[in-house]
Amino acid sequence: MVSRTPRIDTGMSASFIASAVIHLAVFLLLAWSGRLLPLQTPVQETYYVDVVNLPTANPSSGAPAQKPAESEAAPPPPLLTPPAMALPPSVTSPKAVSKPPLVPVPHKSGAADAAFAERMAKLERSAEARREEAVFDTLRSKVKTGGSSKIGMPGAGGAEAGSRYGDYIKSRLEDALKVTSSYSTKNPEVVVRLTIAPDGRLSGVKIERSSGDAAFELAVRRAIDLASVKFTVPPGRTVYENGFVFKPRSISSGTSR
Amino acid sequence: MEIISSAGIVVKLVLLLLLSFSVVSWGIILFKFFQVQRAKGESERFMDFFWKSKRFDAIASQVDRFAHSPLTVLFNEGYSELKKVVESDSKSDGSALSTDLGGVENVSRALRRATNSEITRLEKYLTFLATTGSTSPFIGLFGTVWGIMTAFEGIGKTGSASLAVVAPGIAEALIATAIGLVAAIPAVMAYNHFQHKIRVLINEMDSFTTEFLNIVQRNIAGK
Repeated sequence: MVSRTPRIDTGMSASFIASAVIHLAVFLLLAWSGRLLPLQTPVQETYYVDVVNLPTANPSSGAPAQKPAESEAAPPPPLLTPPAMALPPSVTSPKAVSKPPLVPVPHKSGAADAAFAERMAKLERSAEARREEAVFDTLRSKVKTGGSSKIGMPGAGGAEAGSRYGDYIKSRLEDALKVTSSYSTKNPEVVVRLTIAPDGRLSGVKIERSSGDAAFELAVRRAIDLASVKFTVPPGRTVYENGFVFKPRSISSGTSR
Repeated sequence: MEIISSAGIVVKLVLLLLLSFSVVSWGIILFKFFQVQRAKGESERFMDFFWKSKRFDAIASQVDRFAHSPLTVLFNEGYSELKKVVESDSKSDGSALSTDLGGVENVSRALRRATNSEITRLEKYLTFLATTGSTSPFIGLFGTVWGIMTAFEGIGKTGSASLAVVAPGIAEALIATAIGLVAAIPAVMAYNHFQHKIRVLINEMDSFTTEFLNIVQRNIAGK
């Protein structure tokens, strides 16, 4: 009986190692492409337009980071004083018929001319002073109400620094949370303090109160990441910091610093 | 990859099982690919060498050059059996035709045995490919069903059935079916491919057996 030497299949272990390497490479490729091509569609940015006040403002007012005031010229106030020159007589007015026609009285002397010119100058000065006062009133009212511009992106400036910017950030976060929303407990609530650098970059995210729902916290973090891409510069180019209370269906903002 | 990390333990186990199936089946695919390719190439070269050679002992001295060909195994088995027959004939009177024909039968049996062992060697591990191809989709489907069950339980607890709540659970569940198909499809394709290649090699072994026996019989009859 001849004893055959059994044939040893070489290369089996090498094949398994190659297979493991291929699988690892595919896994890494998928992870990499998943990072580059996120499944979420980008949030469509919504601009809120106050249609009620739309016609009142100059179209250039309310642009982002635009100061409210000087460039926006107020309409000239109505002239309260009578025109310098006398109106022609109205033929239809019965009152006018009874009055004698106002015709320029021929000047009889130089003293009379001087008195008339002085009177006219006084009237003009008075009219100019009233006009300026009206302009200042308009400007003061604008400053007091935070600017008349209700068009365009919030944060256009105003006395209440950051209040409307907070609404803007809240709106962006709400849009993003609609995309990433996921939660596994009933009515989870997460309080997050966001810090936005003067250049509009998100510089700090701190979860101040957790809900214990990992899925919802992950959704909140993803929503913040998603929304932070679109943040604009805070008003006055200062650091903006605010706390936001995230709930599955709404976000409310706390107090800004 | 959050979709995997946030899945349940059962779905994770199913994914791990399918991943191991995929790794092993791809290892077998790579191994079988090189094994069959080498067997085919060296068999062709061995047959050229075989028909060009005049003597079996000359072939036997060079047969190690074609170590991966199944035909060389057949030749070695047949040749060693033939040598034993010839040696036993030389010890006896060496004239009886019945003894010679019995020797041919011995060589034939040796070749048949060698053919069977080579078929077994070539078909080794292919059953795993067949098993992977047939069971992986079902294992993946099990993971999907389990994941959907879990997702619906979660929906029932939270009381919310919005798409944002339902979709992640379904997606986590469906990944198991996807991985099952990813493991099964190459395994089935490779299994069919290697079955065909091995059938061709078996036909070559049968032809070689016939030719070898013809040569042996001619030589014995020509004595």
